[in-house]
Amino acid sequence: MNTYSFLIDYFNDSPTIIQAAWIIIGLFSIIIIGLIFYLKYLRGHLRKKERVTIAYEQEYESALITYLYAGNEEETISSEQQAIIDLLKNDAKEPFKRKILIAVLVKLKNEISGEVAESIQNLYYQTELVDYALSRLSHKKWFVIAKGIRELKQFQIKEAYDQVIIHLNHPRPEVRKEMQLYMVNLFDFEGLTFLDLLETPLSEWDQIQLLEIVQKLENQNISNIASWLNSSNDSVIIFALKLAKIYNQLEAKNEIIQLLHHRNKKVRLDAIDVLSYLNVLEAKEILKTDLQKRSQEEQIAVFKMMENLYESDDESFIMKYINHDLFEIKIMALKILKRINREKFCALKIESANDPYLRFVNFIENN
Amino acid sequence: MGDPIFQNIIELFHYLFFIFSATAIASYLVLAFISAIETIEYKRKNSYVNYKEIMSSTSAPSISIIAPAYNESLNIVENVRSLLSNHYVNYDVIIINDGSKDDSLEKLIEVYNLVQVDYLINEQIPTQPLRNGIYKSTNPAFEKLIIVDKVNGGKADALNMGLNISNSEYVACIDVDCLLLEDSLQKMIKPFLETTDRKVIAAGGVIRIANSCVVKGGKLHDVNFPKKLIEQGQILEYIRAFLLGRMAWSRLNGLLVISGAFGLFDKKIAIEVGGYDRNTVGEDMELVVRMRAYMEEQNKIYKVAYIPDPLCWTEAPDNYKIFISQRNRWTRGTIETLRKHRKIGFNPKYKVLGLISYPYWFFFERMAPVIEFVGILYFGILTVFNKIRWDYAFALIILAYLFTVFFSLIALITEELTYHQYKKKGTGIRLLQIAFLEPFVNHPFILYAAIRGNFDYYFNKKKKWGEMTRKGMTKA
Repeated sequence: MNTYSFLIDYFNDSPTIIQAAWIIIGLFSIIIIGLIFYLKYLRGHLRKKERVTIAYEQEYESALITYLYAGNEEETISSEQQAIIDLLKNDAKEPFKRKILIAVLVKLKNEISGEVAESIQNLYYQTELVDYALSRLSHKKWFVIAKGIRELKQFQIKEAYDQVIIHLNHPRPEVRKEMQLYMVNLFDFEGLTFLDLLETPLSEWDQIQLLEIVQKLENQNISNIASWLNSSNDSVIIFALKLAKIYNQLEAKNEIIQLLHHRNKKVRLDAIDVLSYLNVLEAKEILKTDLQKRSQEEQIAVFKMMENLYESDDESFIMKYINHDLFEIKIMALKILKRINREKFCALKIESANDPYLRFVNFIENN
Repeated sequence: MGDPIFQNIIELFHYLFFIFSATAIASYLVLAFISAIETIEYKRKNSYVNYKEIMSSTSAPSISIIAPAYNESLNIVENVRSLLSNHYVNYDVIIINDGSKDDSLEKLIEVYNLVQVDYLINEQIPTQPLRNGIYKSTNPAFEKLIIVDKVNGGKADALNMGLNISNSEYVACIDVDCLLLEDSLQKMIKPFLETTDRKVIAAGGVIRIANSCVVKGGKLHDVNFPKKLIEQGQILEYIRAFLLGRMAWSRLNGLLVISGAFGLFDKKIAIEVGGYDRNTVGEDMELVVRMRAYMEEQNKIYKVAYIPDPLCWTEAPDNYKIFISQRNRWTRGTIETLRKHRKIGFNPKYKVLGLISYPYWFFFERMAPVIEFVGILYFGILTVFNKIRWDYAFALIILAYLFTVFFSLIALITEELTYHQYKKKGTGIRLLQIAFLEPFVNHPFILYAAIRGNFDYYFNKKKKWGEMTRKGMTKA
């Protein structure tokens, strides 16, 4: 009792700052004890969750395999299959189990094809998992919507088109990306029509993902890209230029040439690259006339184009650049000269007074 | 001591110490809070990202991994193999043998069938010249590999040579002994490609400690928690710094440092600013500060991104001699960088960089050990003159200690909720143990190293890099 009174008196007699220190010490002590128990619980919980997840995965995998081979010709769904559907439907009510079930279904769907894959698709409907995914599309939280679209894409639910397309210009790029992947995965090149209405930027990351998917499509008949080349959205133009290159869209040549004077430098650069790839000689002539007014990157891109599209009458033009300050331009100009007029190129060796320049010439001669 | 002016000065010091401590604690709490929000957001954003497409895409931008090596003969062959096994199509690996005196080059030539090649270098940044030249492999399996053998010029010089040699859009500057996970380039390139409203100039990754981890065929096979307290302490320190510090700075777009062990840079901008500074031992931090300052001066909207995934694993010092030498160098690097860029500090022209990041680093990174040391000295003097109210001192020391433990526990919980790398049973108790012991087993040495770093910076200018003896990671 005396100790207690002593401590109370000591506390009351201490300056405010020391009183505050002791109070905070008390608080920290309690919080730290709480955190220690929480950390212990958390580690145990995570380990348990991992174990339980593996157990459910195994259970669902085995149930699904039984389901796939339990069918008979008399009934659309056998009694054994119905029992599995009921079990999974019931489990799907719990978010934790639903998540595992969907992961197992996706894994299985990716490993198989044909009729068996169709059965998995049917099961997705029968277990009413599709309803959960559809309900996510109108959720307030962006990541719930994004996951919903992704799931519908994985199970190829084309009926959700109207509910998915409304997220075309969603403020979150993650939702837009899932919407775009849904469109292209399910509707092939037709799915790319979302580009007509896209107001938000299509990032490089999105473009790469879309390109990888379209290149794997069975039907490689690309729709007309001219409207995308004239889009008011610069990222759509850049994406269309990538398509033009991959699908050799020479018919869009005139639209691409127009882009050489676009206000966006990236568009101009990509247009030069595509025109070079498509061997459009007219573009080279246009670029030669206004090369000096263009940025360094564009000038380098033009010389890359000329490496590909050089002609003998380019010699006088090239000669102006063999001593250019920019390393890349000087190298490319010398390379082109070597191909156009070897004699003149060899003469440079004799004329070269300084060592570094001779090093350039020798390197190009040997490579 | 009875002089009222002297008393007032002493009192003023007391208040300054108090304000400093209170601000430091408040800033740690704010940063931890912001980090938590950012980490949750990152995990959400990346929980369903498909990296498969970017992995195999030829449209993905080109990346050069630049790894300087000096006397790394012990592990160089394994390390290069690990770097060559990254899951990304459009990349190459440039190893800069920076005048090694050992047989690193001979080993590489033999194992990777290297031959000397003719190579014209675009010397945009001046460097030490080539020694034996540039090598490429005759084996198509190693076509991504370029070995550059040059005269010794230090890490920054070697990295600059890599910048000159690289033909890629992006460069990943790493320590050659680092173990990169296979998906590290896919994850690091993502912010550069997905950000549309600003230019991403650099991205930094989390560095994890690989001591006691098992490495098999150049890949991380098994994550273990080391037995030595010094290593455990560093693991906790790294978790705290990376998960509760840098994540917040990334959110505030105020990240000043990207670890030299693993960072990805926009090559064009890195070259435009002149590459790595050869006159500092903190070249990693200095480059980021210079790139940021450059972007601010150009009035360009930019970002330095940060990836919290554990992508890069490295060997940490396992004895106090090397540990002190490393921290001494870090201190000198910080002082050199902040001094070199002092015009940024408190300058509104540099926005977040000048008004938040720089002052924070100045007060809580550069000055913190000095203030702590002065505090300890002052405490010693008061003790000698019997002027200590021990009950008050006791309360404040306990408070500081409990705050450190509290902050470490928050870091450990964040780690468990996000990456949960130390899964094995029994590790939990050791993690808890180190949270309580770390202020005694590592902190005094960090303080000593920082004070030595200050001393060496001002009075021992010749001191450059300390030594790091490699033992090699545990192989299965």
